[in-house]
Amino acid sequence: MTTYDTRSAALAGAAGIPLAAAKLAPPRPRAGLVERPRLARALDAGRGAALTLVAAPAGYGKTTAVRAWTADRDAALAWVTLDAADNDPVRLWTYVAAAIDGIRPDLGRRALRRLGADPGLIEGAIDELMDGIAAYGGAIDLVLDDLQTVTEPDGLATLAYALRRVPPNLRLVALTRADPALGLPRLRAAADLAELRADELAFTPAEARELLVERHGIALDAADVELLHGRTEGWPAAVFLAAVWLRRLADPRPAVREFGADHRFLADYLSAEAIGALDVESRAFLLRAAVLRRFTVELADQVLGRSDSADVLAELERTNLFVARLEHGGWYRVHSLFAEFASFQLAAAEPDEVAAIHRRAAAWLEARGLLVEAVEHAAAAGDHAFVAGLLVDAHLALVRTGRTRTLLRWVQALPDGEVIAHPELTVAAATAATMIGDALERRRLLHLADRARDERPERVGPYVEAAAGMVRASAVDRDVAEAVANGRRAAAIAGTEPAADPVLVAALAGHARALYLAGDLDAAWAAALRAADHPDAARRVPGHAFARSTLALVAAERGRPAAARRHADKAKALVTGAGSSRSWLGANASAAHAVVLAAEGRLAEAERELSGAERFFRDEVATVHHAWLLVVLADVRCRRGRLDDAVEAVRSAREVMEDLGDCGRVPALAAAVDARLAQAASRAAGGEMLDPPSAAELAVLRLLASDLSTREIGGELFLSPNTVRTHTRALYRKLAVNSRADAIARAAVLGFLGAN
Amino acid sequence: MAARKYRLTVDGELSDIAGQAFEGMTLTRGAGTTLLVGRLRDQAELHGVLQRVSDLGLTLLNATVVDEGEET
Repeated sequence: MTTYDTRSAALAGAAGIPLAAAKLAPPRPRAGLVERPRLARALDAGRGAALTLVAAPAGYGKTTAVRAWTADRDAALAWVTLDAADNDPVRLWTYVAAAIDGIRPDLGRRALRRLGADPGLIEGAIDELMDGIAAYGGAIDLVLDDLQTVTEPDGLATLAYALRRVPPNLRLVALTRADPALGLPRLRAAADLAELRADELAFTPAEARELLVERHGIALDAADVELLHGRTEGWPAAVFLAAVWLRRLADPRPAVREFGADHRFLADYLSAEAIGALDVESRAFLLRAAVLRRFTVELADQVLGRSDSADVLAELERTNLFVARLEHGGWYRVHSLFAEFASFQLAAAEPDEVAAIHRRAAAWLEARGLLVEAVEHAAAAGDHAFVAGLLVDAHLALVRTGRTRTLLRWVQALPDGEVIAHPELTVAAATAATMIGDALERRRLLHLADRARDERPERVGPYVEAAAGMVRASAVDRDVAEAVANGRRAAAIAGTEPAADPVLVAALAGHARALYLAGDLDAAWAAALRAADHPDAARRVPGHAFARSTLALVAAERGRPAAARRHADKAKALVTGAGSSRSWLGANASAAHAVVLAAEGRLAEAERELSGAERFFRDEVATVHHAWLLVVLADVRCRRGRLDDAVEAVRSAREVMEDLGDCGRVPALAAAVDARLAQAASRAAGGEMLDPPSAAELAVLRLLASDLSTREIGGELFLSPNTVRTHTRALYRKLAVNSRADAIARAAVLGFLGAN
Repeated sequence: MAARKYRLTVDGELSDIAGQAFEGMTLTRGAGTTLLVGRLRDQAELHGVLQRVSDLGLTLLNATVVDEGEET
């Protein structure tokens, strides 16, 4: 078949994602357009920057300018056109790796293999990719077009990760309508950002003249061009649309003058005029093709019910009319801004035609394994049964490979009734919502699971029951006792019903966490151990990591720091390996790690880690996990002597708990922190010390408050480790404490540590 | 989050056909701008509208919450 890039299709297998060749093919550089050497010079000047950002609204010719520039360079080109489905980082990096692989076979192969692992290993794949590019040595331009479609923090985080690893022979060029949240001010300050923006991309009067008068032969004098340029403010899309319109007029000058005084929105008005100026054949084709956006000759023939698409397209391409042919794979693309207005025209003229085109396109794409593209068209057609059917087939694979964003997006696009009709989707999406930390969405989906049980009991089997209980136990949304009961029930079903067996490790882990928050440490330990020691634990990464976090918490509390450290490290390694350190699971592993750090007396590190996790748990809705985390944070701050901040954290915890039911042991933990705070405050009020520390002891004391080891403190102060130990012992005696952490807390209260 | 009434001003007068992109909002044209006024359920719906503004290449001049009692 000519419509497929067979190598891309083969690569697709490696990562479990069928690749649409259209996303990897740059547009062909077009002859007969305005030459804009000043833009190429501006892009050349950005060499050495980690990121080149081409940022401007729709219709500013970003793609054309960058394509023309890359065509004249001695660099290999990897091009990826992004879309909203690329908020799923596994999909995003699969395409990037496949594009790099297109430069030289095997250059992206190892990264693709990592992405195809179960679940996808994103950061490891990025490392492989960047190492491969560095080893390749030759210059490579990696262009990410339509970056504005990637808006979710986890997708952006993987890009930020990659930016820090760009080797010198790679130019990363991003085309976008909106500045991405990639720390641009920092990149700018470090001269790591090159920019080309709307002001520079706008046509100069000379460029507008070249397009209108020289390329299109429109008889306009300098004043007319000036008027048109002023009215369009050099917006390239508008100048181009004006050219298509004006070149059909015998005398364009009155039209320009009229247009100069017109108040209508340019793209709107000019699209209508340009479409009106087309011949009947081209117009009928373009209005329909605009609905498709991207298509092959075969797709166009099939969906538009014609057999001459190849001829029409050749003519449209030759005359530069809104359609660009892509470099390979036989794909075409309609200019996106024009497509918007053309679709409106079709919807106004033939209201049913738009949905019919979407539906036929969805069927064509699904038959070729392009599920993401098929779902987008089916959703646009309002064909929800089609979307639900695809999801029922694909949801387990999506969860397993970490593609939670894709799963959630599709389920969210369905009306409630369609989701309830497929109860397995409610629990799969509730799991996905939990993983990305969206508690509100989780509650909505669990509510739909309840409705499914009432309305479609025949479709709710043991798998759905166990999975719903597992999510409720793990998330502890409202009520600890309820979570414990849910966990017990989920583990019992999963332990006896073969259909629910895949949920067992996660159900045990959820049950264990609920028991921990209830204060039943023995039972929590036993359940978490069953999960971690289960023969399937290696394959059930999320459940396994969650259980390890709970084991670390219990061990730390039981005064077994070595065991606690081992479990916490394992939990971290599991979530990092799975590329999900920035997920709910990652935040949980961080919290457990912080508790272990605090038990080891490394309070500054513990607080840093807890603050990071707390930001993740902070949500529009209260959860018991968040309240618990705030109390742990308060405790660490108290021990560091940061009393005001500790009081603030306890207060926030109580605020969170006001919205919740049974919070298990969290209120008791909060009361214990209160007591410690009161004690610290009264000691502070106690004032003077009988035997104040010497100057040398004070110097040691200040460094004890850092993360430095005894040896490192000695190094800083030019003392032997033994001398440091002598000073430390004297300090403990004078401060009446037994540990480094308590010494720091006491010293802070007494004002020995300055402002901190 | 409660629904609120929003008023957006974009540059240029939009046709009725392009106005379909903002289904559910009232369009008022005048003096080279278009006012889009409507009750939006939440921030997500507002961001959806802003996304449409960007997709169509419109220039956003102003966006504000309108008090329910206030004349638009």
